[in-house]
Amino acid sequence: MKEKTIIRLAILVFWTFFWGLSVMDKIIPDVHHLWVGKDFFALFVKFFGSLGLKNPIIPSFALAIVSALEVINFVFYLLSLFNFSKKKSELSEKWFFRAIFSSVTLFSLFSIADQVFGDRFQLLEHGLFWLILIASWILFKFVGDSEEKSISIGLTKDVKIALGIGAFITVMTSFCIIDFSDKTLSNVNTPVKGQEVVDGVYKFDFPFLADKLVWEKTINSFKKEHPELRINYIYTGPSELNSKKKTHMLLYVFTEKK
Amino acid sequence: MTFFKGKNNISTSQLIRYSILVYWSLFWLLNIIDKMIGGSLFLWVGRDRFAQFQKFFASAGLESPFIADFALVIAAGLEVFAFVFFTGALIHFFQKNVESSRSWFLMGTCFTLITFTIFSIGDHVFGDRFELLEHTLFWFLSLFTWLVFIRLGSKEGNQVLVLNKRQILGASIISVLLVFMTSFSIFSYNENFFFRRTDPVIAEKVGEDIYKVSFPFLGGSTVFEKTMEKFKNENPNKRIDHIYTVPNELRLKKADALIFYILTEDKE
Repeated sequence: MKEKTIIRLAILVFWTFFWGLSVMDKIIPDVHHLWVGKDFFALFVKFFGSLGLKNPIIPSFALAIVSALEVINFVFYLLSLFNFSKKKSELSEKWFFRAIFSSVTLFSLFSIADQVFGDRFQLLEHGLFWLILIASWILFKFVGDSEEKSISIGLTKDVKIALGIGAFITVMTSFCIIDFSDKTLSNVNTPVKGQEVVDGVYKFDFPFLADKLVWEKTINSFKKEHPELRINYIYTGPSELNSKKKTHMLLYVFTEKK
Repeated sequence: MTFFKGKNNISTSQLIRYSILVYWSLFWLLNIIDKMIGGSLFLWVGRDRFAQFQKFFASAGLESPFIADFALVIAAGLEVFAFVFFTGALIHFFQKNVESSRSWFLMGTCFTLITFTIFSIGDHVFGDRFELLEHTLFWFLSLFTWLVFIRLGSKEGNQVLVLNKRQILGASIISVLLVFMTSFSIFSYNENFFFRRTDPVIAEKVGEDIYKVSFPFLGGSTVFEKTMEKFKNENPNKRIDHIYTVPNELRLKKADALIFYILTEDKE
């Protein structure tokens, strides 16, 4: 297989999935089984609301236009990939250019909106996607220097050794992953043990896997273990207190004797 | 273009290509180690990927840990083979087998691209836009480094970059001076201000039963706990009713670290 073909295929597959899933995210607007996605409707409602445009028809209309542009992008990439698979290189390149041009236009529109709505982080995000699209086009078009070069990697001795080492490390890593998951899965529903750090103040180091159910179990179990105490106040430690990054969340429970 | 004159001339193109190969080899090696360790250990914090995957899949309604395990094993397998091929490319490059190195590097790049494409699909499904940006950037970096690697190979220059002795001397003196100044400043700061990492902060009374605590940047959970202890000892007749953490919006950008208010009432 030619190097150029591999790189072009990788670019086309990535962007086809990117836009295909973006369209899917608009079709499935809420959280469902096997799909979480992002609630763009809520985001658009908030953005337009901040401008004073509170009628939901406006964000709905804007989202419909954005979705339409995303559909166009996806179709262009899909056609480019289809022609590429049929070895119609020139046609694939033409569709890819159309796809890149429409994607860049969409990200330009997003960037304008980000400035209007004052969202600088999204502006950076969209600016970076815009840049990556332009760079993808350059890579797709000008990777041609290696046009005639084919990947020269057969099942030689060194490749066999590499595959053997790779398989060995994969098995080792898999063993470690499964072992770690076995050891830590109990954190999903085990109450956290509190530690009295100041007289009447208990600290709870919540692990990464803990969620709201663990919180409920922790508080209930704490109350059972300390019937003599009354909980006055619960303080969630802000991220600044969690400087070591080892714990997911710090919780302080302030108590006093009944 | 050569960097230094001498017996073992190494061109600037070669140095950049070595850097690319070393970067990707280490990148994947450390990712694999992170997966092997799983949690936090002494000298390694890393990231709990199992917890992350488990939470992602649980949010999509798939709560069985086997799914998170399976996904993590697939990801680890791709990372391992990316690492093996990048390291192979580095070894071939070191042995001057440039053509083989190029093929191995392409294989490593393919595994990297597949990994980040799959991750990006996951980011769409799980609605994590920040990770989508992160993975797209890495995807692009991988493609870009491939292009740089092959372009530098096809345009090997032979210009000589000889460094002037006087300039080397000047640069060395300035560097040593700056290193000395910087080190002095760092050690002096450590000597005079490390107590901020451990000592309690004074709670300033700002209203009736309202006390303000302005944390130093170095402050962490230890400082918080000691501050609470000190406050309770100093105010034995007060009960902490509430702690209000000032949100970022009310802070003076970078000048303010964590600020919180302790609201109290008299004990009965």
